[in-house]
Amino acid sequence: MSLLDLHDVHTFIGKFHILEGVSVEVPQGSVVALLGRNGAGKTTTLKTILGLTPASSGRVVFDGDDIVEMRSFDIAAMGIGYVPEHRAIFADLSVEENLRIAERRKGDLERREELIFGLFPDLKRLIGLPGTSLSGGQQQMLAVARALVPENRLLLIDEPSEGLAPVLIEQMIEAIARLSDTTTVLLVEQNFLVASRLGTTYVIIEEGRSVKTGDMTDLVDDDETIQRYLGV
Amino acid sequence: MLTAERGPRALWRRRRGVVYMALALLMFPFVISLLVDGQGIASVWNNDLGNARFLQGLAIEVFILGLFAISYDLLLGVAGIISFGHAMFFAVGAYGFGIMLKSFELHWVIALLLVGVLAVLQALLFAILLPRVKGLTFALVTLGIAAVFWIVISSSDLAQWAGAEIGLQGVETPVWFLDTTNHRFVFYLLVAAIMLGVYVLYTKIADSPMGRVLVSVRENEDRSLMLGYNTFWFKTAALIVSSLTAALAGVLHTMHQPIVTPNVAGLTFAITVLLMVLIGGAGTISGALVGAAVYRLLNFYLDKWFGGASGLLVGLVFVLLVLYLPYGIVGTWRVKKAGIKEGRARLRRMFERALSRS
Repeated sequence: MSLLDLHDVHTFIGKFHILEGVSVEVPQGSVVALLGRNGAGKTTTLKTILGLTPASSGRVVFDGDDIVEMRSFDIAAMGIGYVPEHRAIFADLSVEENLRIAERRKGDLERREELIFGLFPDLKRLIGLPGTSLSGGQQQMLAVARALVPENRLLLIDEPSEGLAPVLIEQMIEAIARLSDTTTVLLVEQNFLVASRLGTTYVIIEEGRSVKTGDMTDLVDDDETIQRYLGV
Repeated sequence: MLTAERGPRALWRRRRGVVYMALALLMFPFVISLLVDGQGIASVWNNDLGNARFLQGLAIEVFILGLFAISYDLLLGVAGIISFGHAMFFAVGAYGFGIMLKSFELHWVIALLLVGVLAVLQALLFAILLPRVKGLTFALVTLGIAAVFWIVISSSDLAQWAGAEIGLQGVETPVWFLDTTNHRFVFYLLVAAIMLGVYVLYTKIADSPMGRVLVSVRENEDRSLMLGYNTFWFKTAALIVSSLTAALAGVLHTMHQPIVTPNVAGLTFAITVLLMVLIGGAGTISGALVGAAVYRLLNFYLDKWFGGASGLLVGLVFVLLVLYLPYGIVGTWRVKKAGIKEGRARLRRMFERALSRS
């Protein structure tokens, strides 16, 4: 059974019909890559799952429960972690406070300390610094680390490689690959090389519709599809 | 490594400022009495007229404004909620306490408890608005509510209770330690202790998990929702704490001043509290107290020296302070540099975020 199942989801932002029928299946333990051009509706899909831009019709089923009508903070508390795009950390909080605020139970951070600092050893060194003094790459690491503090069953990660230097992209791929051993991931990624290395399956979204889905290994060899939906 | 330092030494390091401040405030009237008035320290106890007694009165005004400003910093500086109706929070305490004592002859403890109830109710009234009108609209609706309150409190229909435009006067002091006329030094110590106590409480709140969630709401409410926080309850809690503090400041104001005028419910007073917070440094907590002191003392001395022109000068000083010290006094002290550009950008961001939240 799928951990998360979106079926024919429609979402409006204001009067704009952004999602016009998105269906995504995220099996337990998989890494699903949402692909598509800029403005296709990938980020809106994540926000719809989280109830930030609620779906007007369709089903969003997480672990057997329909969550369309639920409030964002209740959805998050079910065990869905979100890593927004653009290094969404809290700049006025320190690194430790950024992590601490993600605790759902007291001591979450201590329980996950080993995992988090194993993936991102840099953060341990920076623990007392304010969020503003981190580099772009470090902020991105912190944003991912924050989603790892509570025991989330599903991580939604939006553009983790955006604007990172190649060496940092490598580190990020490694980290996400390692955390995907224990957590299911739904990933939005513009960089196809990154997506293809991380994803087990893919869903292509175009103009607010999910148009194609399949195994990532098949897509890598399918130049025609890549050109048609992802090429510039 | 992940836990903050504990133990008596760390506590002393964190809190020594408060202890020094308490000692300085305790000694202040005696020093003035000895050095300026040339009298013995006994004259402070005897409540003798002179600079010592007068300056205690001025200091009490500063403390009361400080309480009011600190309550606003929790909303504006910590949680990023901009209300233009904050004067009402103060006025409900001032008028509520005075009317209950004077017209209804309630015991002062009961009156104080009822003021607390009123403070919670007005905080809940603002909280109900939060999910419905956001950003600038929230600020304007709070302004409207406060304007209605001002009209009601200064209307001649309610003159027998609130004294219309003249204000509420003739409230008798219910208990000796609230008597600013005959026990000035005791009242001075009481208000100073309340101010320092509230300051410690507010720094504790700002340092607590609740404070961090409020900061995250100020920075980006969606992100704190995504971490699983029902941000509405956190903002409501901040409003309640803020309202209780402002109302307490109002109660002390009523005890200290012979007349409570409708000005305390007016827009000017709402702007005053905003200025005090900006002068001290929004979000710094202690800055609110510094801002209140600077505001009141500047007002007082410029008025003394320049008379009628003082209003213009006060305004000029504030414009210069906000333009060239955009982090505020305490904020600049903390960042260790007067980064005018960054400071202005921070101010702009803060207001843009708070006012445009959709």
